[in-house]
Amino acid sequence: MKLKKIYILPVLMALTITSSCKRELLDASPTTQIIESEAFDTPERILGQINGLYASIKSGQYLGGRYIVYNEIRGDEFLNELTNGVTGLQTWNHTLGTNTAEVVNLWNAGYYAINSANLFLDGMQAKGNTVAGDALAKNYNGEARFIRGLVYFHLLQLYARPYWDGNGAKEGLPLRLTGNKGPGANDLKRSTVAEVYAQILSDLTFAEQNLPLNYSTAILNVTRAHRNTAIALKTRVYLAMQQYANVITEANKIVSASAPFTATTGVQHKLEADITNVFKSPYTTLESIFSMPFTANNLPGTQNALAHYFAPSATQFAVPAVGNGEYSIKTTGILADGGWKLTDKRRSFIWTHPTNSKRYLIKYQTGPAQTDNVPVIRYAEVLLNLAEALARNTNSVDARAVELLNAVRQRSDPTTTFTVASFPTVQDLISAILIERRIELIGEGFRSPDLLRLGLTIPGKGNVNAINPTQSEYIWPISAQELLNNKLMTPNP
Amino acid sequence: MRKLLALLGGLLLFYSSLLAQNRTITGKVTSDNGSPLPNVSVMIKGSSTGTTTDSDGNFTLTVPPSARALIFSSVGMDLVEVSIVNRTTVEVQLKPTDKDLQEVVVVGYGTQKRKEVTGAVSSVKGTQIANLPVQSFDATLGGRAAGVQITVPNGLLNNPPVFRVRGTNSLSLSSYPLIVVDGVPSFTGDVSQVNAVANVLSSINPNDIESIDILKDASATAIYGSRAANGVVLITTKKGKSGNTRVVYDGWAGWTKPYGLWELLNAEQYMTIKNEGLTNANITNQKFLPTNGPDGNPIDTRWYDYVYRTGFSQSHNVSMSGGSQGTTFYFSAGYTDQEGILVKNDFTRKVARVTLDHKANKILTLGGTMSYSNEVSKSPNSGSVPGSLFSTAGLGRIPLVTAPNVSPYKNDGTYNLLGNAIGVMNNTTGQVGFYNPVPIIDLNRAINENNRILGNLYLMLKPVKWLTLRTQYGIDNLNSDNELYWSPIHGDGFPRGNATSTLAKYKRWNWTNTAQFDNVFADKHTLSVLIGSEQQRTTSDGFGLSRQDVTDPFFTDVQGSYVTPNTAGLMRGANYLLSAFGRINYDYEKKYFLTLNGRQDEYSALPEGFKKGEFWGVSGAWDIAREKFWSKLENVVNSFRLKASYGTVGNIGGLGDFSAFSLYAGGLYGDRGAFLYNQPPSDSLQWETSKKFDIGFAFGLFNDRITGEFSYYKNDIDGLIYRIPQAPSRGIPGNALLQNVGSMFNKGIELTLNASVINKRDFSWNASFNIATNKNEVTKLAPGIDEFTTASDLETVNITRVGEPLGSFFVVRTAGVNPANGNRIFINKAGQQVQYQHVVPAGQSRWKFMDGSTAPAVGSQDAVLYKSPIPTYFGGFDNNFKFKNFDLGVLLTFQGGNYVYNGTQAGLRDQRFWNNHTDVLSRWTKAGDVTEIPRIIFGDNVSNGSAFPIDVNVEKGDFIKVRNIYVGYSLPRSILSKANITSARFYISGQNVAIIRSYSGPDPEVSSNGNGNTNPGVDRNSIANGRTITVGLNVGF
Repeated sequence: MKLKKIYILPVLMALTITSSCKRELLDASPTTQIIESEAFDTPERILGQINGLYASIKSGQYLGGRYIVYNEIRGDEFLNELTNGVTGLQTWNHTLGTNTAEVVNLWNAGYYAINSANLFLDGMQAKGNTVAGDALAKNYNGEARFIRGLVYFHLLQLYARPYWDGNGAKEGLPLRLTGNKGPGANDLKRSTVAEVYAQILSDLTFAEQNLPLNYSTAILNVTRAHRNTAIALKTRVYLAMQQYANVITEANKIVSASAPFTATTGVQHKLEADITNVFKSPYTTLESIFSMPFTANNLPGTQNALAHYFAPSATQFAVPAVGNGEYSIKTTGILADGGWKLTDKRRSFIWTHPTNSKRYLIKYQTGPAQTDNVPVIRYAEVLLNLAEALARNTNSVDARAVELLNAVRQRSDPTTTFTVASFPTVQDLISAILIERRIELIGEGFRSPDLLRLGLTIPGKGNVNAINPTQSEYIWPISAQELLNNKLMTPNP
Repeated sequence: MRKLLALLGGLLLFYSSLLAQNRTITGKVTSDNGSPLPNVSVMIKGSSTGTTTDSDGNFTLTVPPSARALIFSSVGMDLVEVSIVNRTTVEVQLKPTDKDLQEVVVVGYGTQKRKEVTGAVSSVKGTQIANLPVQSFDATLGGRAAGVQITVPNGLLNNPPVFRVRGTNSLSLSSYPLIVVDGVPSFTGDVSQVNAVANVLSSINPNDIESIDILKDASATAIYGSRAANGVVLITTKKGKSGNTRVVYDGWAGWTKPYGLWELLNAEQYMTIKNEGLTNANITNQKFLPTNGPDGNPIDTRWYDYVYRTGFSQSHNVSMSGGSQGTTFYFSAGYTDQEGILVKNDFTRKVARVTLDHKANKILTLGGTMSYSNEVSKSPNSGSVPGSLFSTAGLGRIPLVTAPNVSPYKNDGTYNLLGNAIGVMNNTTGQVGFYNPVPIIDLNRAINENNRILGNLYLMLKPVKWLTLRTQYGIDNLNSDNELYWSPIHGDGFPRGNATSTLAKYKRWNWTNTAQFDNVFADKHTLSVLIGSEQQRTTSDGFGLSRQDVTDPFFTDVQGSYVTPNTAGLMRGANYLLSAFGRINYDYEKKYFLTLNGRQDEYSALPEGFKKGEFWGVSGAWDIAREKFWSKLENVVNSFRLKASYGTVGNIGGLGDFSAFSLYAGGLYGDRGAFLYNQPPSDSLQWETSKKFDIGFAFGLFNDRITGEFSYYKNDIDGLIYRIPQAPSRGIPGNALLQNVGSMFNKGIELTLNASVINKRDFSWNASFNIATNKNEVTKLAPGIDEFTTASDLETVNITRVGEPLGSFFVVRTAGVNPANGNRIFINKAGQQVQYQHVVPAGQSRWKFMDGSTAPAVGSQDAVLYKSPIPTYFGGFDNNFKFKNFDLGVLLTFQGGNYVYNGTQAGLRDQRFWNNHTDVLSRWTKAGDVTEIPRIIFGDNVSNGSAFPIDVNVEKGDFIKVRNIYVGYSLPRSILSKANITSARFYISGQNVAIIRSYSGPDPEVSSNGNGNTNPGVDRNSIANGRTITVGLNVGF
């Protein structure tokens, strides 16, 4: 019996042990990620989220490269060299299906960015506006809505019929305007093209009214939206809608009446004297209105970078060997344009293969880490948007339109001067502006949208046939996953 | 009575002391079947004097007058103490300690006698799996226990086997059983972050394992609650036994070769076939042409020679064990160095273990075990681990696709390269292969190194006879180092070069406290009650560097000179499991048995409000043979027990530590920090629930000469976690939400038969046979979703559909090759026959109906569910023979009723530049040819299933394998005793020595997707399996 008493102590100890659990460990929460409920707790976190919204559109699947690439290669300037199904072959030859990777992935990336913006706007309203303070809250809300408008605009360019087709009456996109996270409404029908455009303009106008005139550094001015960014984008949006008067109204806010053209308020945009500087580090020219920054630690990802597609590869004896030579430039296309002089500075972006004479675009040539900034909006485009709108709106060889065209041309080719007399008809002027766009903006993702907004046939290339505006291939199909999981979604015709 | 005995004893003592002189005891020791036992230790109790029996089992020992008893001991036998008071001759019978039905079975938090276990438990003895040429013990379990299915995925060293207990029990979570080593749940799976796979379990030295007990039903597993749905495997390591110190050396050396490699076209055949294809494709500006090698002869490269080898392996283990009555110890050290069949695929393990147990007094026992291990796994990119099946650097694939008419070297001895592909030499086609395998084997490397400490300390109190208190604290610390180098010269690192090193640290502590009450009431009611608590904390922490753009190819370490630094392998996790559990075992007269198990778990990774779960199991047994009415049968059927169990357990394995949260992750926007929404909340997630029902019987015939066990099982799983797809326009990261929605069941029967067929003095034959069947069916997925497909990297071959077994094959049906034109005939969704010709005149369609009219293209949208990859039966047949000093064993394993998707064959008939299987030589060439191989048209990747999977490549997976065979010879004790050696045995053994199958690939036992639940049975570009011959030696001192 004595023995038993001695061991009562350990028994008690054992019982203590049993009850001495660390219950607080049951509430383990992550230390390397931020819980949603705490994401708006400090101004720094909110700014981090703003950067996150930009990072979401900068995805390699989207503005990090592929969106630009798809819009180039579905046009007629480029030839597919490697028949690689992973790098846009089916976009190039118009054989996309609802399950094709680019159709599915771009849809995902675009709507992920939209939802991120929506979650941000919701969070700001719930808590963030108070935490950030009025001035910053306005700024951030403006940026989120700018981003949402930009993404909807981009998705419309590929997944919906152009605005002219039925004046926006065709099926557009499902308009998601609030944040999604838990289980909820999968089913949402497509709004019309016009309704989506109206939303885009509402977002961009809000952005214009709330964004700051500029930021504290040049790099922020080119990588975050400020007031002129929203206005510049609106010129593109109205151009796509063929509402030329509105293009003029918007463009006039940021383009002076006469040369040298410059923005008079906000960031003082103007053309850079040497275009090649626009595509070089530090990428902070006043010509760059909005672009996607990359660093060696923040790359576009495998097979996403513009340089990967357009720049030649080492096996093609290029120096420097930064790309993979996926696409060469068709020699019978814009390269053959008689007016594009060999001395034009923009010809320096074209590289000729020493043995097979294929031409490659070397606008993006940083390597081996492909850190070229991706241009999204630059001032040259705004000038050409305005020039085209002036010509079309006045239906005349508008002198200011010619002057704007000259500004873009002469910056790279001082030996060519257009005058009003150069263009017997307004159509000649418009054609010249469209040619200028092809020369100036090659490799920046304008070819397909420029054809589509005007209802032009997508010309053939290599052994790929032309696509006329009535063909289903004129636009992309809808992602199969959306069709499967959103019961109200309808496929493209 | 006792007093009387003492008095008698005293009188006897007195009597003998009167004699006061030494006397001689003689005797004989036999085994329980009457055969003499040589070399049995005979010791005088309480002294170090003793002798051993001779070859006839006889002994003579002079004992002092004070000697009162002798102790007889022999390895593998129960220790026997015999009084010699008033005796001069002693006849002793020793019984084996491990005779099957008397054996002790390890169950959760305790042990039970085999005959009293009411749950379903299979046991494998450590001796059965020691000294096999494997990296980890789990790979050896196939065929050894009913209902346990082990699939070794391929010949890559240290690749975790697919481990299933009674079928696949989850869709999205782990289906791997819980592995518990000496009471501490172990990490499992592949922890490597590079190409070299690293099964965590390989850090446990198979030679240290005493027993493996596999808990299968709800009754046995319920005490492991939320982690029990996939079965629980209890590993018990060896402990010392009191008696003389015993030193054992086990060593073997072996040679492994690949078997069943595909027969490929040689250079001449390759050029014939491919040029014929070019002609048929109307391509005139390209040709496959021979190139002469340095010897002036046309190059004919057998790429297998550069990729496969005969690997040499060796293993050495030394253990020391022993102890006095109060203290026992076991110490071991092991070293193994193994070479795989794949070049540069190596595995080494250094491991040491110390186990100490000490009985301080009648009440207190304490002890512990600690092992340290270091394993290094090295491998080039094998393309044989999940996620790399189509890797152009995969060495399983490269020898299959690369043209045999080019060489890895140019004639000047340099690598034959064209950019980042192998050079074409005289061929005038653009491409004849992906990477040149030789430079990537020479220059690249991937190494995983694990350092692991596993151990526990325990303290046990027995303050009163009926009470046992036990506390155990265990740790499992694993540091996993990864190193990867990709040369800028060729392959995956081209042209920038990449060196990546990461370190992952996994830590776990586990504190278990139990109290057990044992008592027998009224000599009839045996009651045992266990209550306990357990806490388990697991943390993981990883980081690393991935540096690119090497400044000079000289640098091959991550510490060298590079331009771009990036992070790699960042991870940080933590979870905590807090549990209380209990068990009641009751029997009445060893006739009626009842067991109740229960456990409550609280788990940190589950969302608030859902962290707690209760699990239970109940089982009963009736030993009919103990009933009076049975007595007439007793001579034939000596035992017959009916058993049944039911209960509910859970599965949570593989759920991320923080899956419940809605999270923003850090990122970058250029040079600025950013937060991106990256995880939607799963705030109502719970365990998957498994309701297990078992019924069966166990029997013994002819005094247990034949024993057997039969059971029927049904496992109904509800609340299967499934990633419910969301409309992508919702923009939710991953486009899916985790929810408990699905249901499925596994059911089948298990039969085990053990027989001591012959048991003569000089010859014995023991046989053990087991077979299990399994039927799996998915009964529910998410609302509105009744099927989903699962990809095998770039290809999708499996579909999980309600009403069918999970992961069934999903392929396009075909109807042979049209003898008229050599076109493959496909069957589209509408059931129409559509023929395909890869190259057609301009303006025509490649797809035509049989009448020649244009048909819509056939593709993956025409796929149908076709055949199941899940074996309907599997098992093993183990035979062990002993003839005098020779022993022989054969383990056969088999499975069947399943199909395998032979994706490798699809690639091997692809008519791009890829090399082909020699079966393409029987291709269609002229009208009227009846053949399985369509007309060869260059570029054709459709006709043979490369573009989308077709039924032609779905083949029967039935096989019988001679998994293991050995012949051993033990030196006679007469020789050994002179050298002071207790035992010495030499043996030669073979693994995978023969296989009977109809499958056309190397081996139908394959899983290119590893442990994937819903994409099983896929064979895609994996390296072959190895056949190993070893010679070995076991010596005991």
